[in-house]
Amino acid sequence: MAGLYVDDDRYGGSPNSLLVEAVRNACLDLVRRKLDESGDDWASFVFGSSERLITTADFVAVERRILDSGYRFDWSAVISQRERPDAYKVPEGIAGDVSSFSFEHPEAIVGEADAAGRTQRGLGDNVVQKSVNVAGTARYVRSSEQVIALMQSGVPAGTIAIIDDSGGTLTAPVLEHFAGIVCAGGTVRSHLGILAREYGIPCLMNARISGICDGDRVEIEATAEATTGEAYFGGKAKPARIWKIER
Amino acid sequence: MSDTRPTYAQLLETNNLMQNCGDATYWLCLTRTVQGSKLFPVSPYILLSYLNAFYRYPTLLKKIEARMPAEEIADRARNMGMKITNSALGWALPNFYLLGRELLLSLGFLRPQDALEDVVYVMGFWKRYLLSWHRNDGHITNREYGNRAQILPDRRLEVFHKDLYECRPGDPLHEAAHTFLATVSQYGFLVSCESRISLTNSGPYRVDDRHQLVVRDFMDLAECSLPWLDGVARDVPYNYLTVPTLVRDCNFRLVDDWGSFEATPEFTAEHLAGIGLYTSDALSEGFLPVGMGSAEELTDTFNSLNAVFKQATNKLWLRIAGWTRDQMIDAGALTYYNIIKDLAHVAGVFEVKDWLEIDPRAERFRPLLNDEFSNQILGSLVVGLDLPNHRQSPYQMMQYSDGASRVYTPLPYSVLAGDPYVPGVGPIQNGASHLDPKEDRYRTTAGVLTLEEYNRRAREFKPALCEDRYRFLCETWVKYNYRTPLADDLYRLEQRQSRTMKDKGAGRRDT
Repeated sequence: MAGLYVDDDRYGGSPNSLLVEAVRNACLDLVRRKLDESGDDWASFVFGSSERLITTADFVAVERRILDSGYRFDWSAVISQRERPDAYKVPEGIAGDVSSFSFEHPEAIVGEADAAGRTQRGLGDNVVQKSVNVAGTARYVRSSEQVIALMQSGVPAGTIAIIDDSGGTLTAPVLEHFAGIVCAGGTVRSHLGILAREYGIPCLMNARISGICDGDRVEIEATAEATTGEAYFGGKAKPARIWKIER
Repeated sequence: MSDTRPTYAQLLETNNLMQNCGDATYWLCLTRTVQGSKLFPVSPYILLSYLNAFYRYPTLLKKIEARMPAEEIADRARNMGMKITNSALGWALPNFYLLGRELLLSLGFLRPQDALEDVVYVMGFWKRYLLSWHRNDGHITNREYGNRAQILPDRRLEVFHKDLYECRPGDPLHEAAHTFLATVSQYGFLVSCESRISLTNSGPYRVDDRHQLVVRDFMDLAECSLPWLDGVARDVPYNYLTVPTLVRDCNFRLVDDWGSFEATPEFTAEHLAGIGLYTSDALSEGFLPVGMGSAEELTDTFNSLNAVFKQATNKLWLRIAGWTRDQMIDAGALTYYNIIKDLAHVAGVFEVKDWLEIDPRAERFRPLLNDEFSNQILGSLVVGLDLPNHRQSPYQMMQYSDGASRVYTPLPYSVLAGDPYVPGVGPIQNGASHLDPKEDRYRTTAGVLTLEEYNRRAREFKPALCEDRYRFLCETWVKYNYRTPLADDLYRLEQRQSRTMKDKGAGRRDT
């Protein structure tokens, strides 16, 4: 089979991701095979016959081989899993009865109940330092169906949104009505953090939490020092606490 | 292969520009954000946009330059708030293109010397454009200037500064402005499919020891060259809004090439000390005031726009929530890819087939773009730098990371010794989109126009400040010639619509 220019690489190695490596190897094989098939030299092939010979069907076949091995992809956007449940891992806590679902971060720092009846259930990065903490009712918001329901019913006063989407679009129609936000991803510079700052909503990003379920009373330490970009870069972030109010 | 190979000097310069872009990309992606969305398949659409950019930008930039050179468009950009500033031109143009190249290199579809003349041209366009856009601060990027963007001339800053209305927490204007900024920011993220490219900031500009001015631009807000705004944004009266924002006791220590800022202390509503509102586009005589007759009128304008944008947000969100994955990917990919489309609007050569379609050479990769692969290879392309093409001699220490890697593969100088190369990707090919076709309605400062009319007017229009008589009257010239009638004319032109500076002319400015 034809050799490719990039086959001889003095410093090259393997990608860190096994999936990337598998796809890359499949693509390299595809290019070698099609170059052979074309009978062309590289100059005629690269922006010439390769465009006719390497088609969508070839990439469908690459993906099919991966799925046939039993591998299922992680999903990021709900729609990806919803349209192709055969190709993606099964989601948890998105649809159906989510009342007992909770984000469970392996590094969540939890504590004993304090004198005020609060139990620490994790930490997060504070977007803006406020003068008082904020308490309210935890509500998971993870799908467009949940957002539509909130658009129709209105966001209950005192809602602390528990979100794993660090973007600003999923919750766009209802975001301004949240009393607080706990986001299990992103950084204070993510779009959700930017919007929380613009709206003046107390918000913890990159939250590592455990044992907070829909309907729980929670308090977030909005009075904690805000996390800066430099703090991330220098590993000096000072996280804010999140409590579950037990009584 | 073309008859005339690029020169050694051209390759040296191109590789320098690429290296700077790579270092900037690594730093921006590492420090500025971790992005994710449960609504949009963000990484899949980003990768598709990169591929589309690689196959299409060279041809489309040449088409634009056939009407108007890059540096002349950038002269226009300094005098208005279209999407031809940051992040569109400062970062996205070269990096979307180069990341597409690097992705194809990593998958074996290219050699470093393929599309060599395209790369030289695209980077040359970018360099000429940015040098012109940054003419007043004398740098090529915000990064080179220590993350500042002091783009505007004295005469425009003076009007922005003198015309803005002061406000304080608790007063109606402050409340209306603060709410408006939050609402239009959120709308911008939605319009741009979870990206920040409808928003940008320039500055900071010093006002006094306690105050700085940041100029905030919000772009592609109305029915425009993004088809998903057809109908839902019919009531949005302005496609571009510029908000000069006076900030008290807040130091903007960083305004990056994405147009994002960081301030110490954090910029929150209580630091907002003054505000103005303007619109502009390819058909306007620079910035046109919006609701600037009085503080009360401006308050009412912000409140009115706030209601309009909230309604448009809800309508657009419901439209997007009903999309298929392919439609979401197309909208996101086109948002990214056509981030530079306003170059074509200014030149009067915008065509739907150029900017609102996915080229078949990019489209064929779609089956690879599942969420997991896309997330991982995108991470590798911008921060991980763990693909074989990223790796270089182990003696090397990359800026910021100290790793033996780099974001972009340089062009090989061996082509100057006769090594064969392929000059370019060739013309764009007929593309397609899963989205509804664009309606022929474009909101401009001259009303809602058809595309043909918009292009015609853009080709025929040149703002007075960009006429040859004024174009090269730079800040150095003004400094030493402010007493001349020509300087007075220049300043009076800028002051035409100012409520406080009209007809005041150049006058001496004590510092």
